Amino acid sequence: MLFNSYEYLIYFLPLSLAVYFLLGRKAAWAVGWLVVASLFFYGWWNPKYLPLILASIGFNFAIGRALHRRPRQSKALLALGVGANLVLLGVFKYANFAVRNTADLTGLPLALPHIVLPLGISFFTFTQIAYLVDVHRGKAQEPSLLNYALFVSFFPHLLAGPILHHSEMMPQFASATNKRPQAFHLAAGLFLLAIGLAKKVCIADPLAAVAAAGFDHPEAISALTAWLAVLAYTLQIYFDFSGYTDMALGAARMFNIQMPVNFNSPYHAANIREFWQRWHMTLSRFLREYLYIPLGGNRHGEWRTTGAILATFLLGGLWHGAAWTFVAWGALHGCALVCLRAWERTGLHLPRGIAWALTFLFVMVTWVFFRASSLPAAGAMLRAMAGANPNGEPLQEALRHGLAADAQTPALVVAIVLLGGVAVLALRRNSNAMAQDFRPTWPRGAAVAVGLVWSVLQLGKVTPFLYFNF
Amino acid sequence: MELPRSPGPAAERASARWLAGVLGATLAVLGAGAAFVAWVDPFQQYHLATHYPPRFYFLHHRYINPGLAKNQPYDTVVSGSSIMENTRNDFVARVCGGAAVNLSMPAMSASEQRLMIETALADRPLKRVILVLDFNEFAGGVDERQDVAGPLPRFLYDRNPFNDLPYLLSWDVLAKSWRIVSGDTSERFTSDPNAAWFWGDVVRFGRDQVLRGLDMEHLNARYQQPQRTLEGMRASFNHNLLPLLRAHSETEFDLAWPPYSILVWLDFAQRDQVQVSLDFKRYVFEATRALANVRITDLQNDAAITHDLGLYHDIYHFAPSINARLVEATCKGRSRVDADSVDEFERQLRAQVMKVNTPVGLATAIGAPDRATGEATR
Repeated sequence: MLFNSYEYLIYFLPLSLAVYFLLGRKAAWAVGWLVVASLFFYGWWNPKYLPLILASIGFNFAIGRALHRRPRQSKALLALGVGANLVLLGVFKYANFAVRNTADLTGLPLALPHIVLPLGISFFTFTQIAYLVDVHRGKAQEPSLLNYALFVSFFPHLLAGPILHHSEMMPQFASATNKRPQAFHLAAGLFLLAIGLAKKVCIADPLAAVAAAGFDHPEAISALTAWLAVLAYTLQIYFDFSGYTDMALGAARMFNIQMPVNFNSPYHAANIREFWQRWHMTLSRFLREYLYIPLGGNRHGEWRTTGAILATFLLGGLWHGAAWTFVAWGALHGCALVCLRAWERTGLHLPRGIAWALTFLFVMVTWVFFRASSLPAAGAMLRAMAGANPNGEPLQEALRHGLAADAQTPALVVAIVLLGGVAVLALRRNSNAMAQDFRPTWPRGAAVAVGLVWSVLQLGKVTPFLYFNF
Repeated sequence: MELPRSPGPAAERASARWLAGVLGATLAVLGAGAAFVAWVDPFQQYHLATHYPPRFYFLHHRYINPGLAKNQPYDTVVSGSSIMENTRNDFVARVCGGAAVNLSMPAMSASEQRLMIETALADRPLKRVILVLDFNEFAGGVDERQDVAGPLPRFLYDRNPFNDLPYLLSWDVLAKSWRIVSGDTSERFTSDPNAAWFWGDVVRFGRDQVLRGLDMEHLNARYQQPQRTLEGMRASFNHNLLPLLRAHSETEFDLAWPPYSILVWLDFAQRDQVQVSLDFKRYVFEATRALANVRITDLQNDAAITHDLGLYHDIYHFAPSINARLVEATCKGRSRVDADSVDEFERQLRAQVMKVNTPVGLATAIGAPDRATGEATR
């Protein structure tokens, strides 16, 4: 089930909240209800993956208990637990990629396994790896299977994060106060959910059509169209992901649960390190704590640090998807961070405006690798941006070829992109800051009501038959 | 990590009032919008359009057909792809008896055809269902759909109002409802309930029209139709249509093979799809011959139709007069495929395909100068 769907907004979320608070006096019942609701949420799209997540939860809980009870065997148990999680991720997410590349390299006629990627597997696997490491380090322990199941499956974070620490969630789940409805948090959560829904539905989705118009035919578009498409994608991915995260945080807040912030105005960053401190912050935290630091971090000299940075970013790139484009994207960001460290050692400083512009430009150009369907397609897009298609299609033609965007006029498209850009740059306070000091004022209430009505009405698009050759 | 502290009882009370106000206003506006859409009902999901001329919006078949299936009075259904859209309900009723509805849709897949017929059969027993079979609808997997068909609004293919929110709470539908009420006719639609999807009066038919832009050596370059396998087509038929035929023995099912132009068979020959297609026709016959409620009509070997490109808009789509002939043949029992005739149907069609797949045969078929002699053959 998606947050931006009727069944979630009109049926699932209100019913989950109502039953949870009705059962609130009996903690185990309330937790049990939330686990059942979360598994229903997960299985809505395809119930056949429910056994997978249940098995994953059961296995990791058992390893966690064993780690706690048998400290002398904890290294072996940790290796077993982390290894099994990585194997699970490898089979479901990377098997096709590995087989395809092996076949390409060796020329062997290897058949691709027919494996469909289960929803959220990257998130719930990383969450549980972090839990096992925390248990091994003595920072976490969970004696209750039901509580552990809720920690992993709690639906607001299940499909797209944030990636949680056990220690930051379980005290909140255990609190009796949090199981009583609190109007202030319900209101603040609704406020954040409305912002996220509007970001996703009213800004990101229209921008997606503009980005597709360019990325679907990079060999045929003009330089201006290419830059507009890349800018549109730069804004789309931010509004989409941060909007979805806002909806997750908003829903959790309605349950009186505070989840960690995942985005903090990343496009305000003035260098690439700052960008990663503001973009998908819980993934950055995971990679730093469970990969970069164990690889040595910055404690063993510059060469080892450089190696740790590059390895972290390469694997971080690969985590986003099983394709060389993601590896290239991660590699570019890793190299940028290495260059930044070298630059900082010179003691030179750029004015903040220039540093910001360089950072934004770099992030924007590297999104080309993230969005392109292949490395050659990314190359074609970069060539288009460099003006390699002097007779390339202007925006109007490109939009006409993008079937999903055929109803949009170029003027509207440019307006959407520019407005999205202005919103990113001009708003000094992001949605999390606004939710943090939320006050239930009526102007704010009117804005939320209008935003909810407009966003809900945008969910049900009527898309007729798209191709007509008469 | 901790939840921000609630500012106190006063803030709790203010927040409760705020929540009630915001949610109340939001639900009131959305409820009013949904009620307005249900009242106007532009896609006729809850009632037929009676207080305004119906609007059959251009290429909105997948949204409106389930409404027609649920609410129109009929006992006979015509179901096919875009080639059957030029079939008038009143003509079917006159020729076949009873009241009819045409539930055809462009780029239809077998799974969509099944869903459409299941929707029709869910509410009432049907006297007759005319299923016009397209080879391409059985391409791919058993649940295959063409991307160009757009998303399938499954929520409209049942009587459950609780899953209708994408219809009731959609800005697109709300805007259509308002345009109906305000008399705005700027959108493209037809209003004849007997010919909801009829396009035969707005396009040209003729040899020049058919041959326009065709690469005669690679006919599929223009149409981009997928390759089919016998195994896949059989699986799709077994999954989608055969269970319907078996489960509704009270309904007469007329399976009809439509008369594509002979150039479609030339395309099949160029793509090594002739044998697959003939084998599939044979399979459909064998799979249904024991079912007393199933008959097969076949006009694909009728050279008077298939070789006359003047009757076509392109190599697939024929003129409305051919729709009428197909319906007549079906309901009057002409061109019926049975145990005695099945071999002869196949032999004739195979011979026609072999002939057209030669330079002289092609030149004869398309009426172009013979490439060997330079002589015009028609």
